[in-house]
Amino acid sequence: MTEAILSRTTASKPTLTEDWLAVVLGLLVFALAVGSFLGADLLGWAVTTSVWTDFSKALAPAAKAYAWLGGAGALAVTFVALVTVLSVGAVALGSDVRKFIPAFAVVFALSYASWILGSYASLAVVTPADQAKFGLGWSLKLTNEGGFLIALVAGLIIANFFPRFADWLKEAIRPELYIKIAIVILGAFIAVTAAGKLTLASSLLLRGLAAIIEAYLIYWSVVYFVARKYFGFSREWAAPLASGISICGVAAAISTGGAIRARPQVAVLVSSLVVVFAVIEVLVLPFVAQTFLSHEPLVAAAWLGLAVKTDGAAVAAGGITDALIVAKAAAEGINYQPGWILATTATVKVFIDVFIGVWAFILAYVWTNHVNVAAGGEKAKLSEIWQRFPKFILGFIATFAIGLTLALHSDAQSLPKLTAAIGQANVFRVIFFILTFFSIGVLSNFRKLWEDGLGKLAAVYFVSLFGFVIWVGLLISWLFFAGVKPPLVG
Amino acid sequence: MSQEELKAEINNAVEPLLPIEKKLIGWSLGTGLVLLAVLLLLSHYFPVS
Repeated sequence: MTEAILSRTTASKPTLTEDWLAVVLGLLVFALAVGSFLGADLLGWAVTTSVWTDFSKALAPAAKAYAWLGGAGALAVTFVALVTVLSVGAVALGSDVRKFIPAFAVVFALSYASWILGSYASLAVVTPADQAKFGLGWSLKLTNEGGFLIALVAGLIIANFFPRFADWLKEAIRPELYIKIAIVILGAFIAVTAAGKLTLASSLLLRGLAAIIEAYLIYWSVVYFVARKYFGFSREWAAPLASGISICGVAAAISTGGAIRARPQVAVLVSSLVVVFAVIEVLVLPFVAQTFLSHEPLVAAAWLGLAVKTDGAAVAAGGITDALIVAKAAAEGINYQPGWILATTATVKVFIDVFIGVWAFILAYVWTNHVNVAAGGEKAKLSEIWQRFPKFILGFIATFAIGLTLALHSDAQSLPKLTAAIGQANVFRVIFFILTFFSIGVLSNFRKLWEDGLGKLAAVYFVSLFGFVIWVGLLISWLFFAGVKPPLVG
Repeated sequence: MSQEELKAEINNAVEPLLPIEKKLIGWSLGTGLVLLAVLLLLSHYFPVS
């Protein structure tokens, strides 16, 4: 992932980091949604997709006030709005905007086409009632979130069979940026969801603390030990690798690599590996969760937050699992409120992210004072905690806090308006998820990884992830979340 | 770093575990298990309502 980022053309000096840009763009969407809540419908033009058999009915604007746009018009306006705002963002990041715009147009077109395809009734519908509504005797029951997986597969095909095309797209392949914007927007959605059941939400937060302990103190130490002792990796490789597998993938590998003063290539190669394994997890684990954990939805949610690495893949896997489990439960007559599984996975992931800076500082302190002690060498500084803190989390906290305050101060008349307004922001959260899935796919060149000789790194990753991380994550999620159910509709 | 250098480096690294690394691993694991036990107790005394 980082390899693609590093190899992008830098047209000018960046004025913003990706994290701060995500905060700005996420807050912009949130502010427009709040405008809708206050009476000015500022986001109703955004395109939404319904489950369809008749293509002409697939697309529509989010709000009826913009019905005159039609589905195609809403799609065009959404694209123009996104390409405009993201182009300004690309300039702020120091990218070549002339390359960004055509690349983003293709990325958006292919991603959204995947999403529309995923909403085709034969793929998406789940309940017998919906099958009857569309006149279907059979469907794949993927829910419309199956579109995420189609976007991922489309990206994988491009990465592995059309590498030149993937290279041409790289200016707009920014999964970290897209998911960070989505997470900032998600803060408001989680707030409105949580406001209805504040006691349950705060209980989940307490249990979410277990994830931090598990990821940093248990996973990291075991994976580091396995990599060093049984696979013979040097400290420079083992530390970023352990962080990538244990904490939150790419960001953790890069932060830790920087903290122990590893060469940049180390973090880059570990990050590539993290993305490839995250792809495999996203393709498999939501369906495993639906099959075996549908009666313990929040165990499934916490498990995905702990098991799937990289923020994008984990939160997106939470979204797919939310749709799959809610649909399966609905087919059995249990109507869970949607959003709680996604909210729990995202909360677990954000909790883990918050401590990256602290962990990087601890490792930097140990390395500079005890491992690589150089006379007059640079020592770890407390300011590294802030430097390595993932700033987009500030955006998440802001939208969560404002959203929660608004929801708790809303009366019976205004609360539905707030929910609808945040729902409009959520349309963009979904679009950024789709872009994330497609982008992750485009970055996952399995052949190149093999050619780079990363088989041994992949072996540690495989052994640690499937032999330890997934199972311990399941056990701890079970201990803390078993019996905790999302609220029922109504 | 060339592809060959990379392969050689990944496959031939020999660095024995230093005492400080063992300490880091041991303390992390020990602290983690104790904190998890504390959290488990807390979640037992403050069940989800």
